[in-house]
Amino acid sequence: MVDNHFIQMRGFHNLYDENGKCWGFQFCMRTKYYKGIWLSQFRTGNVIVDGVVYPKDTLIWNIQGMDYTAEEMYDRTDIYWQVNEIATVKVPKEGGLEQGYHTVEVEFGWVCNYNTAVEPEYDGSGLGTMGPYIVLGTGQRVVGHPTERRLLLVW
Amino acid sequence: MRKVQEGKPKLGISVYSYCQVLGRCMTLEDVFKDMYDCGATHFELLTSHIENYPNPSPQWIDHYFWLCEKYKMQPAEMGHWAETHLRRGDRMSDEEVLFNLIRDFKLANLLGFKVLRTKITTVNLYCDPEPGWERIIEKALPYAEKYDVMMQNEVHSPTLLTRKHVFDYLEFIEKHKTKHFGINVDFGTFQNAWPEDIYSPEALKTLKQRGFGSEWSKPEDIKAVLPYSKACHAKFNYVDENFEERTIPYNDVLKIMIDHGWDGYLISEYEGPGRDDDAFLGEQMRRHHIMMRRMLGYC
Repeated sequence: MVDNHFIQMRGFHNLYDENGKCWGFQFCMRTKYYKGIWLSQFRTGNVIVDGVVYPKDTLIWNIQGMDYTAEEMYDRTDIYWQVNEIATVKVPKEGGLEQGYHTVEVEFGWVCNYNTAVEPEYDGSGLGTMGPYIVLGTGQRVVGHPTERRLLLVW
Repeated sequence: MRKVQEGKPKLGISVYSYCQVLGRCMTLEDVFKDMYDCGATHFELLTSHIENYPNPSPQWIDHYFWLCEKYKMQPAEMGHWAETHLRRGDRMSDEEVLFNLIRDFKLANLLGFKVLRTKITTVNLYCDPEPGWERIIEKALPYAEKYDVMMQNEVHSPTLLTRKHVFDYLEFIEKHKTKHFGINVDFGTFQNAWPEDIYSPEALKTLKQRGFGSEWSKPEDIKAVLPYSKACHAKFNYVDENFEERTIPYNDVLKIMIDHGWDGYLISEYEGPGRDDDAFLGEQMRRHHIMMRRMLGYC
């Protein structure tokens, strides 16, 4: 079973290398849609924790046990991220996060090929047609889904 | 043995109705159990509910057939997508789209589905298809025949049954004299009320902003497409304690379908508020089936 919120409480903790050195933190999430998406339809942006921006290009997305950068996902039309499947987002940050509450936001969207216009950013650099905003058939953008959650970190 | 009077049309439920609780507080077996209790004999599954789609494991397939057997449920329609923009840049080639369609036809055939809800890539809110759809569907027809499936395009709110592309689809079917392409009418297209005691002010604002609620299909508009339809989404948004749907003129629509001898699958699809509450959803589903049974003259 997965958490009702798309950002999961389970799986939020710091990351340590084999020498015990903390090199970052991770959190888990599922897609927000009723339909699974091919990785090539997935669009990502930055992760923002307590107002600090962790850039898109530094993030590692672990889906079905494999690590991907945002760039590597663009052309994977063969990997289907199914509904309720949990992805782990690994965020490099020396020393990790402190114990306690953190507001975790993740910028992401996906390309939906119906009820909307065709993806406006031809090169995939945007957040698709659905996500924090929805691109209407007219090209107009309206507010979509909230993208943050307050999480509690123990270690 | 459960007491279910079967008739025509056949009553089904879309697993989609449970999409906000499935995997969160209900398993796929819980959903089958719920559908069984509602008296449904058929179901719709989306590819979204197939573990490890498009390559389900033999274990999952065994489990799926075990559920069908245990709960006496038969596959009616499989929802899938015929997308042409799976990656950035240019649209995919016809061959790539066809490859994906054939993959889904085989899967549908394996899982016992003869009807597909095929979502063609569209270019706007009204689901006008991306130009070139005829070419792809034409190429897919021999494979649909081979794997014994019918692709059905869905007419979904805010698209009206009188929209030009619906007639284009009908013309395509007549031109090719095919039984492998058709229309799924989603009853949301008939929705003519948005009561304030059902929808929150925020929900109403969002619906209006997105272009829903300004016009709707007339029940009689369904007549033209009924001969080309094997499964329809019996969309509902709220059934009250008197077993009346408050937003869609069910009496009028079902009467026309009965009068025309339509014998396909009526697949319940709940899309009203409160879908994330399993108890509320279960009650709505039971009310909806009592309502349809009474209107259809089943007990």
